[in-house]
Amino acid sequence: MELLADLVERCQHRLVRYLLYLTGRREYAEDLAQETWIRVLQRGSQYNGRQRFDPWLFAIARNLAIDYLRKKRRAVATVSLPNDRDAMLLLPSSDPSPFEAAARSEDAMRLAGRLQILPPLYREALLLRFQEDLSLAEMAQVLGAPTTTVTSRIYRGLAALRSAFGEGDSHGG
Amino acid sequence: MEGDKRFRELIDRSFVEEVSEGERQLIHDHIRDCDGCKRYLELTARTIRGLREFTFTSEPDSNAQVREILAHHTETMRQHNVQFKVWAAFAGALSMSIVGSALVYQVAKLLTVPMYFDTAEVQVGVLVFWLLPSFCSALRLLAAPGENRGIA
Repeated sequence: MELLADLVERCQHRLVRYLLYLTGRREYAEDLAQETWIRVLQRGSQYNGRQRFDPWLFAIARNLAIDYLRKKRRAVATVSLPNDRDAMLLLPSSDPSPFEAAARSEDAMRLAGRLQILPPLYREALLLRFQEDLSLAEMAQVLGAPTTTVTSRIYRGLAALRSAFGEGDSHGG
Repeated sequence: MEGDKRFRELIDRSFVEEVSEGERQLIHDHIRDCDGCKRYLELTARTIRGLREFTFTSEPDSNAQVREILAHHTETMRQHNVQFKVWAAFAGALSMSIVGSALVYQVAKLLTVPMYFDTAEVQVGVLVFWLLPSFCSALRLLAAPGENRGIA
């Protein structure tokens, strides 16, 4: 229990941030973070101690978030649901978006708008790489996809975001 | 143009994956003469810097809430675990009681002739001195309060 309390202390902030990116709502993120920790408590024996804890934690959180959003959507859906689990990560509209609320610079504010409309798989890949600083192998573990797929998502995401700083922009540097 | 495409892929790779010192030098040399690729590198660096400039504030009591919930769940899991062990022990004791009684009865039956007992006496003996006490012991496991069960 003491070990788990230490992990909560160390990872809770990042976990909520990641879930906020995935779900787009703070209340979902907080609930899912609690659910994730309970899952960690129940399945702690499945954790391979030789690997870093964070990717394993994020993988649990991601699965829970997808299931949670699927249930939410099913509850209000009037059209058929997409089959792809990853398609569940489309952000629901919220005002302001989690990215706008978290942007701490003019550049980040510019990116916030793009992130909101970026395909969810690219957005998630960019955030895991450049916010959470996960390695490509760790990202592959979280996303359940090969490393080549992960890198391709990052490159495509970067390509989409670069256009936020279009030609004629005077804020370079 | 094809060359620029190759360099831009290399620039992307330098931000996302490991590139060799030689490749890094190649980029450096190329952007000295190519404004397009230089601009591309600057934009990529700026995009990544921008991505790192999102800062979230978490609820101040968020960690404490999670710890409290986990403590509650730990206790619940411990109680479920104890209950499971008790029922498992009861099932084990009951099985041993029944199997043991059957064995004792079979042995006692063999002794009925040399000991001048009849079958009914053997049955009563096994019931009173073996089956009932062992059955009561098994039941006692269930009735004993919490930690006194000796198996929690």
